[in-house]
Amino acid sequence: MEIHVNGRAVVVPPDWQEETLLQVLREMQGLKGAKFGCGVGSCGACTVIVDGVAARSCVTPVAGLEGARIRTIEGLAAQGTLHPVQQAWLDQAVPQCGYCQAGQIMTAVALLEANPTPSDTEIEAEMDGNLCRCGTGQRIRAAIQNAAGRV
Amino acid sequence: MRRRDFLTAGLSVAFVGALGGCSLPVFPKRPDPTEAHALGWIRCRDGAYRLTLPRIEFGQNIATALKQIACQELGISWSELTVDPQETTAIARVRSTVGSESVLFFAEPLAQACATLRDAIASGQLKGELTVTPRAREDLHSFRAGAFVGQSPALEQGWDVVTGQPIYVSDQSQPDMLYGRVLRAHASLEVPTKPKAWNAAAAQAVPGFVALVEDDVFTRVGSQGLGLVARTPGALDRIEAALDLEWDIAGQPVHADLDAALDVDARLARGDLDHEVLDGRPDAEGEWQVDLRIDTAYAAHGALEPRAALAAFDGPDRLDVWVGSQDAFFIRDTLAQELSLDRDAVHVRACRVGGAFGGKTICTVELEAVGLARAVGRPVKVQWTRAQEYQTAFHRPPSSHRLKVRVRDGRIRDWRHGIVSSHILFTSAALPRWIQRITDIFIGDDGVARGATPPYRLGAARTDFDLLRLPIHSGPWRGLGAGVNGLAVESAMDEAARSIGADPIRFRLDHVEDPRLAGVLRRVATISDWPAKSAMLDGVRTGRGVACGIYKKKSYAAVVAEVAVDPDGAVRVTGLWCAHDCGMVINPDQVRAQCEGNLVWGLSMVLYDDLPHEDGFVTAESFDDAPIPRLSQVPPMVVDLIDSQAPPSGAGETAIVAAPGAIANAIRDATGHRPERFPVQPATLLASRGAEAG
Repeated sequence: MEIHVNGRAVVVPPDWQEETLLQVLREMQGLKGAKFGCGVGSCGACTVIVDGVAARSCVTPVAGLEGARIRTIEGLAAQGTLHPVQQAWLDQAVPQCGYCQAGQIMTAVALLEANPTPSDTEIEAEMDGNLCRCGTGQRIRAAIQNAAGRV
Repeated sequence: MRRRDFLTAGLSVAFVGALGGCSLPVFPKRPDPTEAHALGWIRCRDGAYRLTLPRIEFGQNIATALKQIACQELGISWSELTVDPQETTAIARVRSTVGSESVLFFAEPLAQACATLRDAIASGQLKGELTVTPRAREDLHSFRAGAFVGQSPALEQGWDVVTGQPIYVSDQSQPDMLYGRVLRAHASLEVPTKPKAWNAAAAQAVPGFVALVEDDVFTRVGSQGLGLVARTPGALDRIEAALDLEWDIAGQPVHADLDAALDVDARLARGDLDHEVLDGRPDAEGEWQVDLRIDTAYAAHGALEPRAALAAFDGPDRLDVWVGSQDAFFIRDTLAQELSLDRDAVHVRACRVGGAFGGKTICTVELEAVGLARAVGRPVKVQWTRAQEYQTAFHRPPSSHRLKVRVRDGRIRDWRHGIVSSHILFTSAALPRWIQRITDIFIGDDGVARGATPPYRLGAARTDFDLLRLPIHSGPWRGLGAGVNGLAVESAMDEAARSIGADPIRFRLDHVEDPRLAGVLRRVATISDWPAKSAMLDGVRTGRGVACGIYKKKSYAAVVAEVAVDPDGAVRVTGLWCAHDCGMVINPDQVRAQCEGNLVWGLSMVLYDDLPHEDGFVTAESFDDAPIPRLSQVPPMVVDLIDSQAPPSGAGETAIVAAPGAIANAIRDATGHRPERFPVQPATLLASRGAEAG
């Protein structure tokens, strides 16, 4: 079977076809940006974009993704220039431990692509499924507001 | 000499006397960092500077702060210095990264070493070993605002985080690497358990199966584990299901009824508690204006990264291990002892940690990875499941407090605070039982006592505590005891102020001697436009509360909280203001970030932190069972830093002494109901109940 990851075709051999998308990305493809946080889709650390929609890759079997177009945090920056959401994350110095932040950023990218100028309530509704224990929430909100209109 | 100091000094004698038949565990060593050590952290070769990080980075952004010190002291640009993560083969032993002490204890030795290196290079010495002649702090270039210090430069590893670079332990890989897991019985780790029967044939038939492994190094206290190794991570789940494992569980844990075991009032009815914090003799007779019971629950650290380790043997006697631990050297020492290897043959590489909060201080998953790698002769990576994080790690202990305050003529005359808690420093998770018995009798637990001494003039004050070994392991959590003790103390202060109708900031100032604590109290009053009256609009009750405290006698915080309580009792924190004084600030933005983190942790302590359990076993399996705050629950926060030239102290755990108390006091202000059980249950704050109490 074949999936498309950050614009490149990736063959998933039989040994890996029973795995989740998260483990195929991380352990087969070596794309370590998406993280394992809970394994049941309740923390958002594993978020990637599948066919334009933010998805929890830890509960997404790769077997159902034949031909799907997957974007991960590794594919956001174009020719060394950070994506506006990544840049906003650095401008606000959002990361503390950083483990949840790839998932936060991917959810934010999907949000802003669908809704370029979300209200605070819309930001919270979309981002509430991405947990952060360090307490970076105020900066996440500010970073999304700063990136709004630039995606 | 206090009683505890005297008895600590006697401990080595006690150990020697008790050694017959017992083997000593590995104790974490805590050397004081010196200038001589620091020379080993920094070096210059062919014009390129490198700093090996003497601390573990887990989001406090200490790598950025120490790079600021080094660049300013060396007089070099930001890009001229490369920061390398800690490796046990790269530098001499450093102590664990705990207790908000990285800037406090490591900044100056690093600055001294950098000054020596700078002067040597300026004088043309480009090779050889240096020795540091310490200079006065005012002669250092980096202990004042300058090109980097007092600024907020780009976060070290910030780019790596936002582009998804492999910087965490779970991101590491090795050629031919396999994936492992150690299964355990669903029972208290204190109860002897072992695998009884399993379907090996079914497990072997699962595609990707490599091995089942039995090894004594998997034993954690009473729990004997069974190891699995697979070619892909997902195969571990399928093998575990196919195994259909049955367990031998030998009996029930003691104290399975935690509420009854912890009940501070039942214990106080039998007299003073075992371990003394304040030894005053308040008058036992007569009326108390405040008589308050505070209970707090078990709480998970909730770090987003489940702990992980990767182990790879190079022949039978050399071992490489990648860890996400707060103490790489303790991991090295423990692995060396458990595997009978030479310490120098164990090479531990410390990765950036995806949240630690005191929870990644002992050796657990590392032994599992090493045992599995030894068995299969190939590198093995283990990452705990979220359920394992709850069920196999240690947690913030539950605690039970009784506080009584007697107020006369506007001043506190008597103070009585009793605490029953499980352990924080001398945890059952790390110490064999025979040492537990010694520490319980002779030492107590300074982690439980942390923050129990109120920062006020109190008249006759007695604070004491009892320790209880519980079936679910407890241990260090952000701030150790200071978070829950601050919550208890500041709740009582608030009630004391209310008992005489005093403004709670004014009342605190009347009892404060330390000018820096008074300073943060006055500052938080200013930035929050204190006071504001409690109000009710459309059934929503709003209120404000304040609290303050000192962390480890060095850092100061005062917090004002504003809450809105819905008719159904649901609490929303709508604003938090924090004034913070940790002396000279190296990186203002990141001190603010630490304050924000502590404010959110305070909010979580009051409203969410609770780890469900049954019969001495944690039943939580996901964040849905043990919630942490979501974005919509994080209010706007204003953090103001006091401009100070006092020596820099720490910011990682300071505001947690004040944030929970401020929120609890705001709930009291809004509803008329004093929260006594944490996390707060909305059912206790129904509008009808508030009307009765108010």
